[in-house]
Amino acid sequence: MEDGNKLSGEESLQLITEMLQKAKASVHERGTSAIMWGTVTAIAGIISFAQVYYKFSIGFDIWLLVLLAIIPQVYISIKEGKEKKFRSHEERAIDAIWIVYGISIAAIIFYINVVPDVTAHFRAAEKNITITELKDFPKYIFSASSLFLILYAIPTLATGIITKFKPMLLGGIVSYILFAISCYTNSTWDMLLLAIAGILNWLIPGLILRKLYLKGRASKNV
Amino acid sequence: MFKDLDPILHSQLRLAIMSLLIGVKEAEFTFLKEKTNASAGNLSVQIQKLKEAGYIEITKQFKDNYPQTICKITKQGIKAFEEYVLNLKSYLGK
Repeated sequence: MEDGNKLSGEESLQLITEMLQKAKASVHERGTSAIMWGTVTAIAGIISFAQVYYKFSIGFDIWLLVLLAIIPQVYISIKEGKEKKFRSHEERAIDAIWIVYGISIAAIIFYINVVPDVTAHFRAAEKNITITELKDFPKYIFSASSLFLILYAIPTLATGIITKFKPMLLGGIVSYILFAISCYTNSTWDMLLLAIAGILNWLIPGLILRKLYLKGRASKNV
Repeated sequence: MFKDLDPILHSQLRLAIMSLLIGVKEAEFTFLKEKTNASAGNLSVQIQKLKEAGYIEITKQFKDNYPQTICKITKQGIKAFEEYVLNLKSYLGK
């Protein structure tokens, strides 16, 4: 492309369209993070379900795997950030959505761990008894997994809408359906629903993104 | 009524740069070079002209010990680009 070439009106319009399409076509998500989180959630959900259903124990809380996955995620984010030659407007919005999601997941974990004890204290105070005297009071949140399913749906559906990426859009919608189902199932089956959500929300869309990325890279190298 | 097209934008390479930058938040010099197929020298000159017109911002920094130039369209640049497209449309009778 040379400097100073004067353009006709049609040529200008054609050039604008071509460059806008080139910028749009450059957005290639690798799907690495989606594959990782989808796999981790699916493994944690399936093992949690299997432990209760088949009555065995692996000796540690499998959901710690989700916490550990933050380490490779930080590495992936730094590496992909370094390799990026541009940042799109959508990326900024999507990054913000997933950061807020991360904070919300931490808030829900806090809520699930704190609220049952606090509620028990309030109930004991209402009845003018000590907490040890409080009987038949469940010290857990009913259907806590339902809260996670709603939370899974929010960033997935929003990302799907912003990027017009149907697999994630459908994954988000399925999460809401799984949430509705989880309201009628016990916590054992809820674990399986979380695993299904992980597979449909992130693992499958991630694999599709990976395939598209590799296809795009291969066509570039031809 | 036909309005004169902005001479800063009505140039092949500068219009290409602006069209790329309007679609992204910010882009590296190498990205613009790759997409426009322009030479580094020519691209530098045109980017400088756009900067002088106030249409883009240029940030120079180091990334892994290599110099990195990041370009970003300004509010003035967005306005000028929008006006250019509107004038182009009226010129073409669309």
